[in-house]
Amino acid sequence: MKKNSCLSIVLNGIIKENPTLVLILGTCPTLATTTNVFGAFGMGIATLMVLICSNVLISLLRRVIPDNVRIPCYIVIIAGFVTVVQMIIHAYLPDLYDMLGVYLALIVVNCIILGRAEMFASKNSVGRSALDGLGMGIGFTCALCVIATIREVLGAASFAGMSIPFLADFKIEFFVKAPGGMVVYGLLIALVSALTAGKAPKKKEFSCAGCPSAGMCGNACTPQRKENV
Amino acid sequence: MEGFKNLIVILLSSVLVNNYVLSRFLGICPFLGVSKKLNQAVGMGVSVTAVMLLATFATWPIQYFVLEPLGLAYLQTIVFILIIASLVQILEIILKRFSPALHQGLGVYLPLITTNCAVLGVAINNITDQYTFIESVFSSLGCGLGFLLAMVLFSGLRSRIDEMEVPDNFRGVAITLIAASFISLAFMGLAGIVDNLFA
Amino acid sequence: MKKSVKSIAVLVSICAVVSVILALTNAITAPIITQNEEMAANAALLEVLPDGGSFERADTTAYTLPATVSDVYLASSGGHVVRLTTTGYASGMVLMCGINPDGTVAGTKLIASSETPSIGGAAAESFASLLPGRSLADIDGVDTVSGATKTTAAYRSAVRDALNTVVILGGGSVDLRTDEEILADALNEALGAANGAFTKHFFTEVTEGVDAIYFADNGAGAVCVIGEQFIALDASYTVITACDNTVADTAKTAVDTVRASAVTALDLAAYEGLPTHLVKAEKTATGNYVMEIKAAGYGITGGNEYHPASGEYIHILVSLTADGRIIDCMTLSQAETDGIGSACADEAFYGQFDGKTEETYNSIDAISGATLTTDGYKKAILRAFECVRIFEGGDPS
Repeated sequence: MKKNSCLSIVLNGIIKENPTLVLILGTCPTLATTTNVFGAFGMGIATLMVLICSNVLISLLRRVIPDNVRIPCYIVIIAGFVTVVQMIIHAYLPDLYDMLGVYLALIVVNCIILGRAEMFASKNSVGRSALDGLGMGIGFTCALCVIATIREVLGAASFAGMSIPFLADFKIEFFVKAPGGMVVYGLLIALVSALTAGKAPKKKEFSCAGCPSAGMCGNACTPQRKENV
Repeated sequence: MEGFKNLIVILLSSVLVNNYVLSRFLGICPFLGVSKKLNQAVGMGVSVTAVMLLATFATWPIQYFVLEPLGLAYLQTIVFILIIASLVQILEIILKRFSPALHQGLGVYLPLITTNCAVLGVAINNITDQYTFIESVFSSLGCGLGFLLAMVLFSGLRSRIDEMEVPDNFRGVAITLIAASFISLAFMGLAGIVDNLFA
Repeated sequence: MKKSVKSIAVLVSICAVVSVILALTNAITAPIITQNEEMAANAALLEVLPDGGSFERADTTAYTLPATVSDVYLASSGGHVVRLTTTGYASGMVLMCGINPDGTVAGTKLIASSETPSIGGAAAESFASLLPGRSLADIDGVDTVSGATKTTAAYRSAVRDALNTVVILGGGSVDLRTDEEILADALNEALGAANGAFTKHFFTEVTEGVDAIYFADNGAGAVCVIGEQFIALDASYTVITACDNTVADTAKTAVDTVRASAVTALDLAAYEGLPTHLVKAEKTATGNYVMEIKAAGYGITGGNEYHPASGEYIHILVSLTADGRIIDCMTLSQAETDGIGSACADEAFYGQFDGKTEETYNSIDAISGATLTTDGYKKAILRAFECVRIFEGGDPS
């Protein structure tokens, strides 16, 4: 497989470097918005839109933005797109807006977006950045939907709000509560790790070593890096 | 008296019942990332509490005295995140200048806080919950203390996990998340305790 | 220097461009959002008042409304929707209450609540289903939901406030006093010399035509309740309230009768077959019996994991004539489940036994949700009838 082909960039985001299940980024929305499939899908698509737009714009401006103020610039651009997406959802999908609540605004601090801006868009062409955003966005959406499906079916005996009749007597509310989300997410990560054993890039540790926004912290993380791994 | 009770309820419910990390999933990244050692956990927790309080002091007046009168409420997200980012920078500069010892202790955690969604989350929630300024301050304090509490508790648990024989595939994030879920489960048991506090 | 100027220029221009884009998007979406919110608000109003038609916010500045009311909407149908925020124990519940033009509740909806969703929330929901059709007259009759007494009591009082609001807006005045306060005010008005401290007399004698007698604690006299009338008697027990002569005579006779009543204790050991639940018994000079009887209510026969049995009997004081008619009855002490069986200490419950005989005592209204309490109470009353027969030398059964 040609390393730079368009398809491989997209697939890379969906599978090999799935932001949620392999890179373990954006944990907050992953846990918070996966109590039902509708919300998870909406969150995924909203993030995907912001990701593509910010990747494209940052890639376009990568020669204009001076290095020393790049992080504030990225934040402003990302926050701008988040607000646009927020307003559009508020206007046309009020139900989704109510469901996602504060987490919609919190896409701003989703480290996937800042991470891709810093690691990919600032170094690659517009087209490739857009594809990267698409791949990462789809990967994020898929992972969210998988988690949400498990949680909603087991915890609420429904799928995207439609109830599953014969399961109704057996629902385990634990799964739609906070601890249930953590357990499902943890088990899925272990499953992915088992399936990709050896093939996936070495699982990144927490903290700065595995944190794509490490760039913005400068040397701040150095003391911790020594302690890690 | 009634007002004071209300403040205590806000404070305690954001520490215990609606703990930001364990029931609202805000600030999970540092919760999982910087909770390996007790001193790290305390450092991060204290820094987050301080930034949350400062952020509330700054964002609440800006929302009500600048954005809303000018009809610019839609700039909320962008303005708040910039305020938080600048605050973190300023705090770091001040600490470096006036209290090198404190800077050494907390400085390393400060830059990580900009992208900590709990801080932005608390600033936005204070507005959406229509808290008054005093209530906002108590709610931020509660959220910060709740974060600190969760971090400290969890660091104790994690040091045990590190000594365990964990199956390969679970090693790292997976087992950490599952362990976190038990802490979260324990906190669920506190639901209702605050409501009945003054009953 | 040049570099930093460029940096700042770029950052500022990015901010400016982003702000312009946001302003444009906002200009497009803001009207749609406002429209959506209005529709959603209207839909919420229609949910609690389905025949409402269209709604308009009412101007309430000229009225003094209950503190819980935050908004009132006037429906084109003539009904109202009141938005309330509860205060006190279960504070912070926000609910909408729709009220039909005829003053009955059309529907209620809990919009926001800090209650535990699994307990208080569910209780509020099941409680809300009991409310439609209720009016000010019978709203207090809606029982609270067990396990969430405070939540449902707060809910009920909020709905009562909503009903009162509509009365106030209609130009009426609302008596916000409770029944106890109304009684206390009436007594005080009749006999001011008592300084508001009265003790209700427990009848041991048959007094025709008198509903209740209250003696002043300071000896300033008594107040006789005859129907709607409050007849006061001064310290020498002379009628001082201006009233019809026959009424005055009735009051005077009744007070003199009860004051002349004398009791002697009965030696229970002298009788065979008395139920062990009889604590003590007295006989009046006129041949009536006064007994204290223990009733095995929920505290003895009931109990589950949520409401453990207290192990306490209900103590009842009851007076009967020699031919087995109840003169008066009251609950002395009880430890039944608070908010449910504890209603056996309410006069509304035990007052029902007055004038009943062994044939008719069973027809009283049970305390809803407290079958064990009611059954235990009735059984104790039945024992009182048996005791009278034994004291009169008859066959106990």
